[in-house]
Amino acid sequence: MGKKSKFLFFDCSQAATCCDKSQYEEANLFQKAKLMLHLAFCKTCRKFSARNSRLTSLLKESKLEKCPEEKKKQWREEIKKEFAEEGN
Amino acid sequence: MPAHTLDPNKWVDKYSDYLFNYTIVRVNNREVANDLISETFLAALKSAKNFKGEASERTWLISILKRKIIDYYRKINSRKGKAEVKIKYSDDYNEGEWLEEQVADQFDKTAEDEMENTELGLAILECLDGINEKHAEIFKRKTIDGVDTDAICNEFNITPSNLWVIIHRARTALAACLEKNWF
Repeated sequence: MGKKSKFLFFDCSQAATCCDKSQYEEANLFQKAKLMLHLAFCKTCRKFSARNSRLTSLLKESKLEKCPEEKKKQWREEIKKEFAEEGN
Repeated sequence: MPAHTLDPNKWVDKYSDYLFNYTIVRVNNREVANDLISETFLAALKSAKNFKGEASERTWLISILKRKIIDYYRKINSRKGKAEVKIKYSDDYNEGEWLEEQVADQFDKTAEDEMENTELGLAILECLDGINEKHAEIFKRKTIDGVDTDAICNEFNITPSNLWVIIHRARTALAACLEKNWF
């Protein structure tokens, strides 16, 4: 690919990365435009992109939460302490 | 050798998010959820000798947590004076006062269990078990906590392009797993 076409066209792996980034709102407008252009002629990436967006909406839908790190730390210590006592 | 063994020192890393999400939809209060999980871990340690290795660690922990959740509702009911609570859970034939100290790991799969299995968030976490532990953690920090890229890179000492490769692999694996188990 020439310099100019590299500037405008993604290959599939660049498209995939850009697609991932846009799931986290971390792709800029220009990158998104390049992604659209790539998707226009790449069926495989269209499929990937649809799947990726579906995953994002599922993740949102699931309302998953992580428990706070300080709690985890506290539990780790509790278990370690109890476990040591049980062992004796 | 039993098919499953217990490794209490890994419980928090492996299951706390799962237990937390399981609890939060049932008690709808973070403080209470945290307390119940803490109690679950301690009860599990106490009854570790009853673990036969027939169910997975997680199934077993969930079975203990379920009883903690039921106890919690019994308690708030009795506080309101609406229900009479029997403190003694066991019949006289068995040793051990508390049910969770008697918990074994073979549980009937009921229709309710099947329904619980299909809860989306838990299905996602189960799928994440299938990938590298550190990668799963990075994916969760990014996707669930919504931590920004730079902060995660600092935390795990990786470059942004490393991060996106990890995220990509995690997402691909997760999508494949969910397609198999969820849809």
